[in-house]
Amino acid sequence: MAKRKLLTRRDFIKAAGVGVVAAGVAPTIFIPRYAHGASKELKILVWSHFVPRFDKEFYDKFAAKWGEANGIKVTVDHIGLAEIPSRTAAEISAGQGHDLIEWIAPPSQFEPSVLDLGDVVKDAEKMYGKQHPLCHRSSYNPNTKKTYCFIPGWTIDPGNYRKSLWEKAGKGAGPTTWEDLITYGGKIKREQGIQLGIGLSQELDSNMAARALLWSYDTSIQDARENVVLGNPKTVEAVKYMARLYKEAMVPEVFAWTAVSNNQALIAGRASYILNSISAYRSAQKEVPEIAKDIYFTPALKGPRGTGFSCEHVIYSYIVPQKAKNVENAKKFLLHLVGNYDQAMYYSELYNSPAFFDTHIPSGNRGYAPVRGAKKLRDLHNAWFSDDPFALPGEAKGKLAVLKDAEKWSTNIGHPGPANPAEGEVFATFVLPNMLAGAARGAKAETAVAEADKATRTIFAKWREKKLVGGKV
Amino acid sequence: MKDTVHAARPGGGRGGILDREGALAKLLIAPAVLYIVAMIGAPFVLAVLYSLSDATTGDPSLHLVGFRNFAAVLEDPVFRLALRNTFVFTLLSQSIVIVLSRILANALLKPFRGKWLVRFLILLPWTAPISLGTIGWLWMFDSIFSPIDWVLRYLGLLGTATGLLGPQTNMYWLGVPGLAMASVIIVNVWRILPLATVIQLGGLSSIPKDLIEAAEVDGASPWRRTLMITIPLTLPIVSIAFLFGIVFTFTDLVVVYVLTRGGPVQSTQVLSSWTFFKGIEAGDLAQGAAISLFMFPVLAVVAILILRMARRTEVV
Repeated sequence: MAKRKLLTRRDFIKAAGVGVVAAGVAPTIFIPRYAHGASKELKILVWSHFVPRFDKEFYDKFAAKWGEANGIKVTVDHIGLAEIPSRTAAEISAGQGHDLIEWIAPPSQFEPSVLDLGDVVKDAEKMYGKQHPLCHRSSYNPNTKKTYCFIPGWTIDPGNYRKSLWEKAGKGAGPTTWEDLITYGGKIKREQGIQLGIGLSQELDSNMAARALLWSYDTSIQDARENVVLGNPKTVEAVKYMARLYKEAMVPEVFAWTAVSNNQALIAGRASYILNSISAYRSAQKEVPEIAKDIYFTPALKGPRGTGFSCEHVIYSYIVPQKAKNVENAKKFLLHLVGNYDQAMYYSELYNSPAFFDTHIPSGNRGYAPVRGAKKLRDLHNAWFSDDPFALPGEAKGKLAVLKDAEKWSTNIGHPGPANPAEGEVFATFVLPNMLAGAARGAKAETAVAEADKATRTIFAKWREKKLVGGKV
Repeated sequence: MKDTVHAARPGGGRGGILDREGALAKLLIAPAVLYIVAMIGAPFVLAVLYSLSDATTGDPSLHLVGFRNFAAVLEDPVFRLALRNTFVFTLLSQSIVIVLSRILANALLKPFRGKWLVRFLILLPWTAPISLGTIGWLWMFDSIFSPIDWVLRYLGLLGTATGLLGPQTNMYWLGVPGLAMASVIIVNVWRILPLATVIQLGGLSSIPKDLIEAAEVDGASPWRRTLMITIPLTLPIVSIAFLFGIVFTFTDLVVVYVLTRGGPVQSTQVLSSWTFFKGIEAGDLAQGAAISLFMFPVLAVVAILILRMARRTEVV
């Protein structure tokens, strides 16, 4: 009987090696080449929306449905907004992760590591009309000619005031100028014991408020060509104004302001005016209806020369990392999202506004009561802000009507220029809120402005060296 | 000795790795070394490289630019403030921790009813996730809903014209620079205290009872016994508690990030939080790395001291 030959170690390694190579090469031989591009997956990372029903009732289902219709497995992961920068940095650095990452501020610092989405914007404009300029300025770098993110929507940042308090003070229609906040807001604080709530802290809302103030005082961090222009007499004027406002109408809580302070103060009945999206009002509707009924809205307040601008509160900015594996799916999904933005508006309870106002409303059941005569998103926008579908029973009609023309008085971070990484760093390191807070706490306005100007110039010079920011000074 | 072992092995032959003490020691220590290299050594080297480059979160490739980032960081007034705050925050926190942990440890040495419950409650802050605990404190220090303010108002210390703390309805703990720093220190003390107490308890328990009894017999007062016996004998272990506390506090980001984000007006900004804001949120990875490396000399000195103390304790 012949002795059975056992597999030697050498034979085993040879066989295993051939197997591994075969397994690696086989798909390229037997699967048609086009199959490489037609991936069947899409991974999306988005923030946890302030309106919880937006994620549960709209976004997750919408993405899954689109995936089913296109034979694509869609994964949607939600994270808190504070985690977005570190998570994005980690994924970019590792060269793997999600195909689409949503930011709520312009992610311009990631430009070198993300794909140019100019083609998606072009396609979207062909299909849905012109993109709103503030969205364009928040996503396109004119120096590199690159569209580093795609923006399907944004959020309005109006003033919210308590009508009963302002009526008693003699200004029932609410403030129209920044000076009104001192005149009437100060009076409300003195006579009714309720302060104003405009953050002067190291956080998002304070940053937006600071920008709105500066723009309304005809000054800004940069000009349209990205030259630093912060250190000028108009900025000093705005800073002096804020010091007066703090003294007359606010308390030290504004130095500890956080993203939830607006909601807290309004719901607790401890703010006569805040500068925030309608989310604080929506929270009040659910938690303290009697206060919600007393909340009314104002457009951007006007400065001493009649200018009035408000900062977009949220700008939904999608990036596609260069190493993303499912680029085509990501682009298709973005276009589909724009085409269905009526649902994003509705399920966010009007928190989201569209970037493409001329998008036609798709036919069929859209999940909300049809609006007579509405053909485009603009029609819906106007109709819903005229007659809020989420108003409480017995609540006054047309409270949100002032938001109808918000696009005229809203602008982007970086105004009058584009968003850029230098503006982003000025934002992330709280230069403006601290400039205002410093003066409010007793520093000389001129000194506070000079220090902020110096810090800003250093930041701009650094990013300019990287060719991501234009301008010369 | 080795020859004896070899000779005793049945079957003779070459010794396996288990029989070679030197090789076995290296083998056993290898996972720990690998872990340290992978989790501490590699990130440290990367941090040094980043600090010498112009890397950003959007472009983490390494183009070396020398010491430019360190020069820029040193010129930044916020960095200088953060550096000062880090020392103030750390030293004040740890001084308070040492005093309180000694008091607590002494109390816990005495027999009393419900001692296990007290020990459990004292240890609780150490077992809870830092971020959760700090969020709880955020509510305690809230500008509107602070329960501390409520108690102060109830006691008539706040919110009345004659109140000791003023007529305003709230203290605004996180909105006034001095109070904000105090709040950050309080939370850090709350967090580190359990560890320090346990270490101190260990030290106090290890003092031979006959020494104390002999001192008592000799008529030494409690104060003298503390000065002459307890403190000298527990000094090495207390120092270790102190140094560990310094490491935890010096590198902590969570307490400041959750409570104040470095405000108001950067008054509670510390090196770790400024590293995060500059390096991750603002995207300047290189400057973020440079800022973080300023913590290294302090931490290195503390680590050397801890090791020396540990060795001395071992000898004793």
